[in-house]
Amino acid sequence: MRTRTPVPISTRLAPVLMARVLMARVLMASALVASLLPLCANAGQKDNSLVVAFETPLTTADRLYSRQREGLILSRLTDDGLFYVNPESLEFEPLAAESYEWVSETRLDVTVRDDVVFHDGSPLTAEDVVYTFEWVLKEDSDTSRGAVIQSWLESVEKTGPRKVRFNLHLPYPMAFRDMAISIPVRKAGTYDGVDGIENAAEDRPLNGIGPYRIKEFSAGREIVIERFEDYYAASPKANPAIETMIFRVIPDQGTQQAELLSGGIDLMMGVPPDVADNISHLPGVKRKEGNDIRIGYITLDAAGYSDPDSPFTNLKVRQAINHAINREEITKYLVRGSAEVVDFACHPRQFGCDGDGPVYAYNPEKARQLLAEAGYPDGFSFKLWAYREKIIAEAAVSNLKAVGLDVDLRYVKLNVFSKVRNDQDMGAFFASYGSGGTADASASTGVHFAKRTARNFSGDDGLSETLLAAESTIDTQERKRLYRKALNRIAEQAYWVPMFSYSQNYLLSPGLEFPVPKDGVPRFWQASWSEH
Amino acid sequence: MSIYILKRGLMAILVALTVSFGTFALFHYATDPAQTIAGEDAPQEMVDDIREQYGFDRPAAVQYFDWLGSALQGDFGESYFWKQPVVDLIQEHAKVTVLLALAALAVTILIALPLGISAALKPNSWIDRFALSTAVSAQAIPNFWLGLMLIILFAVTFPIFPVSGDATWQHFVLPSLVLGASSVPAVMRLTRTGLLDVLSSDYIRTAKAKGFTGYRLILQQAMRNALLPIVSVLAVQLGHKLGGSVVTESVFSMNGLGRLAVESIFNSDIPTVQSLILIFVLTFVLLTLAADLINAWLDPRIRMG
Repeated sequence: MRTRTPVPISTRLAPVLMARVLMARVLMASALVASLLPLCANAGQKDNSLVVAFETPLTTADRLYSRQREGLILSRLTDDGLFYVNPESLEFEPLAAESYEWVSETRLDVTVRDDVVFHDGSPLTAEDVVYTFEWVLKEDSDTSRGAVIQSWLESVEKTGPRKVRFNLHLPYPMAFRDMAISIPVRKAGTYDGVDGIENAAEDRPLNGIGPYRIKEFSAGREIVIERFEDYYAASPKANPAIETMIFRVIPDQGTQQAELLSGGIDLMMGVPPDVADNISHLPGVKRKEGNDIRIGYITLDAAGYSDPDSPFTNLKVRQAINHAINREEITKYLVRGSAEVVDFACHPRQFGCDGDGPVYAYNPEKARQLLAEAGYPDGFSFKLWAYREKIIAEAAVSNLKAVGLDVDLRYVKLNVFSKVRNDQDMGAFFASYGSGGTADASASTGVHFAKRTARNFSGDDGLSETLLAAESTIDTQERKRLYRKALNRIAEQAYWVPMFSYSQNYLLSPGLEFPVPKDGVPRFWQASWSEH
Repeated sequence: MSIYILKRGLMAILVALTVSFGTFALFHYATDPAQTIAGEDAPQEMVDDIREQYGFDRPAAVQYFDWLGSALQGDFGESYFWKQPVVDLIQEHAKVTVLLALAALAVTILIALPLGISAALKPNSWIDRFALSTAVSAQAIPNFWLGLMLIILFAVTFPIFPVSGDATWQHFVLPSLVLGASSVPAVMRLTRTGLLDVLSSDYIRTAKAKGFTGYRLILQQAMRNALLPIVSVLAVQLGHKLGGSVVTESVFSMNGLGRLAVESIFNSDIPTVQSLILIFVLTFVLLTLAADLINAWLDPRIRMG
């Protein structure tokens, strides 16, 4: 049996980290020189505006047709749904809805607020709500979340001047999630009479009910929004401090850093921790760290889809892989910030993430022993696929090699990764899942284990049934019980190597006050300038 | 000459079709556009819905010939990512790329020709060594590094130019320098070598005997012949700049064709990638053809065949 002494990740990956921070250090040196000169003003402090960098372009301002994370960030400013995600508790609470009542397990009555107006000045009515949901239910509306909504919502009807009834196909506890995150309310008739529904709908000016309205939308360049003065005062999003926000598309992170230092932008998101370490020491830059609902994990092909004789069909092999990965060190030295080790297939802040099944501590000796018991005393060869955080995938490979496994890292772009994964042609892969910012275990478990989706490599029908049952009841205690059962089953069978939760780093101008989000999705309506 | 042009034109079409088919095949077999469009975390229902909506569940050959049939009629389809007609998208982005490419070419000419001529007129002098070391440095420095260094120096430390964007002429200064610098070595060396060759030829000796000296000798007599290979190289370099300014456009956040190509590739936006490839290939072939025609105009021996 081959044995190797594990070297701490922090030591092994030092050269890689050094290369990665080179750019940040050059910028730091330059900015130190610049600090001798008069400092540039922040981009927006003088005129109470905020300039934020987006790494990827947003193709439409209409959340109903946007599938991008940037779309969700923008939508929280320009749109309101019937419900919203409370930034503190991460629970779903009424927003444009005044109140709600479950009449039965499949009937939800919602009362619409009477003080909400659209950006064009017209009041929000029950007809608008009915129109919005009926539009999403239409086959040819081609909205981004249409298929998901159609899976649980049967019909919507107006039952009073301000009352709307939602008739569900089945009890669906995540209805509030979809109403809060995916379905902003649209004015009745918004998409009517449009030839070529999709294009024309996406091009037309957005008439939302959020605290900001779109002033300019230039796809791929920038989006300008301005405070909507008639926004209803009773809203938890009321009275935002910033008057104008500009979202500039700057794909390169090095360029974003330069823009921040030169006063071209006020805030950048998703900054790698090592870069944030260096840049945040500079005058004119402040760093903030926040949580993210996203978790990182390794999936093992327990069902043998990629190869019926795959070693991963053996429970002891999967357990060995779990013991071989040093999750603590990876989390502490590579993910860093507020990242935490994750023991189950969900984020600890998600509802229902209460597993109490087996936890696999880092133990290379135990891993080698389990491999020998499984009939692989000399290890075996396999490919580990990955598409993001290469440094973490490399650390995992290093851990696996240390217990005698011959691992070939296949690091590819997401579109290539998706193809191979959706063909279920991967034995093992490192990936992450953000749950769409949803603090509920259904979001992380549903996609990966509940149904026969391309991401489900467990082949466990019993587990799938448990999760489907949890998704089909609105009884909170029963849901908790079912999720605990499912999460324990996943851990017992070691279908995954749950690794860590992510941390979000933000770099911003010193005068900017911005409460970091708990779910990784910024709410810029909470931002303000401290010295304005 | 017309047969020559026809042959080159047919070759261009053949190259474009081959590249287009290769690109489509690679995309089809290596990526899952439905998942890419739906997003990293999209649920299966959404992915399946998109697969059906966009027709990705049809046989690959049907998808390709559908696109080709429309493209031959001038309809390049609609971008999966941007949800706009590809032609509009390309027109919008081409302005930035063409401006940047021309400005970069001007930078190349303004630096490389004087340096090359000076080096040729005084071989092995300090000017020659300076020119050669400039060429070696420009060749060795990667575009992205030079771009970031220029940003740090002229946009952060001394905020003379904007860091990124393409709204004003000031936005084009640093990117043009970066893109232009990459072509300086080739053009400068060619100018130097070409001019040295020409200056040692018999007809220059005759011209000198007839009293041609100084700039009249260099510009009127020598450069006309020395220009022949330079024109070809400049045409190729312009082709590179029109299709290959990917890094520069990304570093400076310019909305040109290079950045559009990268975004389209990462987003599996097949209609846009296919159309861009066609345009890049045709541009390159047409520029090479134009260079040949200019050479033929400059040199009667080429015209005579």
